[in-house]
Amino acid sequence: MTTQNADILAVEHIDFRYREKKILKDVSFSVTPGDICGLLGPNGSGKTTLLKCINRILSNENGMIRIKGHDLSKLSRKEIAGLIAVVPQELNIMFPFTVLQMVLMGGNGRFGFSGIPGRNDISDAMEVLVELNMGHFAKRRYNQLSSGEKQMALIARALFQRAEIMLLDEPISHLDFKRQYTIMELIKRISADKNLTTVITLHDPNIAGRYCNRLIMLNEGRIVHQGLRDNVFHAESLEAIYDMRIKIEYTDTGTEYVLPHHIQ
Amino acid sequence: MKKNSAFVIITILLILCIIFALTTGQYHIRLDTLWKVVSLKFSGKTPTDNLATPSMVLWSVRMPRVLMAVLAGAALSVGGVVFQGIMRNPLVSPSFLGVNHGAIFGASLSIIFFSKSAFSIESFAFFWAVAAVALVYLIGNRGVNTITTLVIAGVIVSTFFMAAGSFLKYIADPYEELPAIVYWTMGGLNNILWANVRRAFVIIGIGITVIYIFRWRLNLMAIGDEEAMSMGVNVNRSRIIYMLFATLIVAAGSSSCGIIMWVDLIVAHISRMVVGSDHDVLIPFAAILGAVFLLFTDTIVRSLPGGEIPISIITSFMGAPLLGYLLIKQNNEWKG
Repeated sequence: MTTQNADILAVEHIDFRYREKKILKDVSFSVTPGDICGLLGPNGSGKTTLLKCINRILSNENGMIRIKGHDLSKLSRKEIAGLIAVVPQELNIMFPFTVLQMVLMGGNGRFGFSGIPGRNDISDAMEVLVELNMGHFAKRRYNQLSSGEKQMALIARALFQRAEIMLLDEPISHLDFKRQYTIMELIKRISADKNLTTVITLHDPNIAGRYCNRLIMLNEGRIVHQGLRDNVFHAESLEAIYDMRIKIEYTDTGTEYVLPHHIQ
Repeated sequence: MKKNSAFVIITILLILCIIFALTTGQYHIRLDTLWKVVSLKFSGKTPTDNLATPSMVLWSVRMPRVLMAVLAGAALSVGGVVFQGIMRNPLVSPSFLGVNHGAIFGASLSIIFFSKSAFSIESFAFFWAVAAVALVYLIGNRGVNTITTLVIAGVIVSTFFMAAGSFLKYIADPYEELPAIVYWTMGGLNNILWANVRRAFVIIGIGITVIYIFRWRLNLMAIGDEEAMSMGVNVNRSRIIYMLFATLIVAAGSSSCGIIMWVDLIVAHISRMVVGSDHDVLIPFAAILGAVFLLFTDTIVRSLPGGEIPISIITSFMGAPLLGYLLIKQNNEWKG
């Protein structure tokens, strides 16, 4: 697979092994700027491992990952943090930091030698919170927020990091129905407003089909299908990754929804 | 409480505590006498006959002891905050990583096989305290998510040094060496000389300065390794820097004063309650509060009517119930 210059992220033939078990097998794909790229696959298919390789928390065995043409393995942690921001699945912390302190941490890569934020950084972080309608949360303790609010705070932190790529690891899997859509709408809005490239692991194919313009479908560490959403979002490809009969039905307005085949 | 007012209050408390400590003791120095003796020293004049005794007591005995209490209190407390931050556990203290048992082993080694001189005991205790933590790091550092393995390595190394220390006590001469070891282990500032203060000042001064410079990044280390890495922190390098300088200052404090229990845990907890978790303010606040706490305790210990008792007895008596109370009080808040 050749890397096109237009790709902001290119994963080329990577493997990852944990002890004897191969978790990722010859994974290759690329993402263009502005994409919302969904990673779909059952539990244990390697989605989170792949995200960790892209963020170089884990080092892939073979192949190469390029970010804006740079070989990821040659970049320092600070350089990677300048390019990639991460929103973890659910972050619980031991010490009661405030939301503003949490958001400020996102700017660490820009804070110079000793890593201490200045007055401008504090007002910038505050601005990000206000932009997400979270200004009133600034002095609240992160530990005391609800799951949805925590996720918003982590997204604010990722925005304050000012990276061009945002990786989100199952950001909505523990949220209630309403908040799943609130967070996804937010991700869609900020991706467009800030021209962010988003790679997001998801469990719900309905959400993936609705919000992602590019999909990568994994099963047992291997990419089964990938491409633009309209080319790969069909029952056969979903059946291949979830190992079950699946049907796609349509509402009166033409919206697709995915269902297990046996449900009427 | 507003953070600025907390700093003003704690700084005033430190000044009051220093004055209290300099005037109080078996030989009482009045406030006006203290002023005269200090003024004479700074103007370079020789004290008159009636000021000779208070001057001697102040400059030879009390001042080095007070300064050492300030230095050691700050060192133990900052060390506690740093280890709790990088271990992401508010109940961890440097002793979890073998600092104390390493120091006791070193002190015992010196007392039995080399020399009972303060310098020798201090050097051996310092070296073995640092060596114990280095060993913990070598065994326990396993890349990402290494905290659990570090704590387990701390238990292993502590147990090893405890056994080695017990063996040394077993073979020690029960009339001279054993009491010296036991007394050193209980901690105290009664033999502090200017030379101790100078050595401790250099090590603790450098250590606290480095930690102070990088204090903000401790916030990221306290969130989690993967989190810190995602935000651009070289976690392994940072952990080495924090562990190295925290160990150096704690070892410098412990090697001069013996093992003083609980100061790190108590001060770190109270500091977090007063100024919050942001290491930007937590580190300097804990340093000053630690100095106040140890200085006050030491002054009480040496002013007791029945004579001085080892300081760890008092810090443990104060610390254990206080920490129990704090845990019960804060439990619900942390759950939130």
